[in-house]
Amino acid sequence: MKRKILAVLLATAVTASLAGCGSKAPATDTAATDAATDTATESAGDTATAGGDNSLTVWCWDPAFNIYSMEQAGEVYKKENPDFNLNVVETPWADIQTKLTTAATSGDLSTLPDIILMQDNAFQKNVISYPDAFTDLTSSGIDFTQFAEAKTAYSVVDGKNYGVPFDNGTVIACYRTDILEEAGYTVDDFTDITWSEYLEKGKDILAKTGKPLLSCQAGESDVIMMMLQSAGASLFDAEGNPTITDNAALKTVMDTYAELVKAGVLVEVNDWDQYVGTLNNETVAGTINGCWIMASIQTAEDQSGKWAITNMPKLEGVDGATNYSNNGGSSWAVTTNCKNTDLAYDFMSKTFAGSTELYETILPKSGALATYLPAAESDVYGEPSEFFGGEAVFSKITDFAGTTPSNNTGVYYYEARDAVAVAITEVVAGGDVDTALQTAQDTVSFAMGN
Amino acid sequence: MSKPKKMNLNQKQNLSGWFFLAPATAFIAMMSFFPMFKALILSFKTGIGTNMTWTGISNYVRMFQDAVFMQSLKNTFFYLIIQVPIMLILALILATMLNDRHLRCKGLFRTMIFLPCATSLVSYAIIFRSLFAVDGFVNTILIKLGFLNTGYNFLGHPMSARIIIIVALIWRWTGYNMVFYLSGLQNIEYSVYEAAKIDGASPFKIFTKITVPLLKPTILLTAIMSTNGTLQLFDESWNLTFGGPANASITMSHYIYNMSFKYVPNFGYAAAMSYLILILVAVLAFIQMKVGDKRD
Repeated sequence: MKRKILAVLLATAVTASLAGCGSKAPATDTAATDAATDTATESAGDTATAGGDNSLTVWCWDPAFNIYSMEQAGEVYKKENPDFNLNVVETPWADIQTKLTTAATSGDLSTLPDIILMQDNAFQKNVISYPDAFTDLTSSGIDFTQFAEAKTAYSVVDGKNYGVPFDNGTVIACYRTDILEEAGYTVDDFTDITWSEYLEKGKDILAKTGKPLLSCQAGESDVIMMMLQSAGASLFDAEGNPTITDNAALKTVMDTYAELVKAGVLVEVNDWDQYVGTLNNETVAGTINGCWIMASIQTAEDQSGKWAITNMPKLEGVDGATNYSNNGGSSWAVTTNCKNTDLAYDFMSKTFAGSTELYETILPKSGALATYLPAAESDVYGEPSEFFGGEAVFSKITDFAGTTPSNNTGVYYYEARDAVAVAITEVVAGGDVDTALQTAQDTVSFAMGN
Repeated sequence: MSKPKKMNLNQKQNLSGWFFLAPATAFIAMMSFFPMFKALILSFKTGIGTNMTWTGISNYVRMFQDAVFMQSLKNTFFYLIIQVPIMLILALILATMLNDRHLRCKGLFRTMIFLPCATSLVSYAIIFRSLFAVDGFVNTILIKLGFLNTGYNFLGHPMSARIIIIVALIWRWTGYNMVFYLSGLQNIEYSVYEAAKIDGASPFKIFTKITVPLLKPTILLTAIMSTNGTLQLFDESWNLTFGGPANASITMSHYIYNMSFKYVPNFGYAAAMSYLILILVAVLAFIQMKVGDKRD
């Protein structure tokens, strides 16, 4: 009897594990093919570099977005230079950071490609930590004046340009028009408003429909940073010293955030998936985030036509407060492993920093919004989006981008972000704002070695 | 004068033994000891990224002034002090129960208790996170049963977040330790138990007077392994709570990772903190050996 049970158990276990393997098999396969393509492209890249001819290798991460854009850029460039060869290797951002760290700390930069895509928030940190890994692009012939200034600032270190701006994280406020209507509002009631008006209307909507206006991830300071930048304020001064205390804008931001949470107008969730869930499952009536959030909103196809876009609320009683901000985005950097820098400069200045045609191609399919200002005048940007109520959302967002105040990320951006996230958690739990901010300031100063 | 070099059988065997050992030894030295040595040197340097300079022991002084590191140290010891004893006692009780000769479906129960151990650390942490989400399974059950009106944010409060991590750890590792106890129990003669029963000992007496003393070496082993594992805890803090809320559940390894990869990299300081973990593990293991090894 016992043996039989054991046999059944074993059989089940084996079948289960086989089933497990079965479902895993495709993943392994793709991994294998990926690895194969990687090696293929890498070896292709190597031979090309060795030959010193027309070839560039690029690392970026999103097939639907930046990889697609890069490949299109390659096509644009190929029209003029038929023997040009572009190898795009799909590498997630976390892997790029790790590989960069490994290459730079081991002193062997030969493992790096010619061009990498870098998160704007990590740009300063990486250039200052690994100065030998990046090429100064200031006198490369790329025209940086054609980009939104706030955007270019992310990749400028000591007055030198190290990056070509790519995608845009201009903040948009998205609202569910049908839910607003239920409570007797329209999107116009949420355009050019202040946070206190937002709070009042939010409370009203919560009472009438039971839906909060905004959701965000607890323990992350995205919303805080967006509010802060909208007033042109930063966590660091121009010299890179932390300015978390004695920062009137930040104090207002903390108070506003805490009030929103207390009123229930802002709900905090624990991770990114839950955040996207609140949007797609109609838990909330709107959101405020970088314009790349549109891709996540549009995954709920049944909500087509029910969304509208406008600018974010602005802070009250703060000098320089606007309704515009930025969250996220990335820029292209040329590594020092690039043997053919002239080709890289020429490629960049004729594509991402000089081709309106490129941006026209990539916009409809990838939603990659240009920080390249001349592209905004293109007709493609004026085409209406059915999902967002038939409005020309792209030209609208590009207008927002042009008026976004710049923000000083400093080198210790992630330290400061986390310290402020800790502070806001304490404030929401009932702690004193000044004490919490003082602790955050101390944490950042300590991290900076003071 | 010169004798032809001739080895006796013993020497020959020694030589071939070393011949077989050499590759593995070389690899361990190269892959494990060399990096450890380099890390030790690194821990006496400081600087951003690749720009490192010698600094002496300042990294080791610095970590005791670092509020976040001290918080992570406290958290880790909280996990250690609460979780390890609960888990080991639970594993011991389960092992004793499953060692009963008259129990049916032993294999089934053993497999079920051991199974969590076969799941990946990352995936189980993510599953626990979704279980304890505000609209997760646990909250839904509690609301349906009428204990709660709205979902409780388990991961949003310092103490409950820590408790969730402990619960997750117990779920994941109890079966693993139970297997050690089960194998240890096989070495205890059944006749000892029979004799005890004939003498009229209660099951509790048998457990405390026979099972526990005879299992002492295994208990010592599992205690040291668990201590070591808990001090290096990373996956649960990283995936389940993200170290939050407000660093209330961050572990030392998680902070070291942040220091190296998320923040402005200071590898010297990160290496120094890693060495503190090594020292802590060594000291705790030494104490446990001394306490557990009272041969009289």
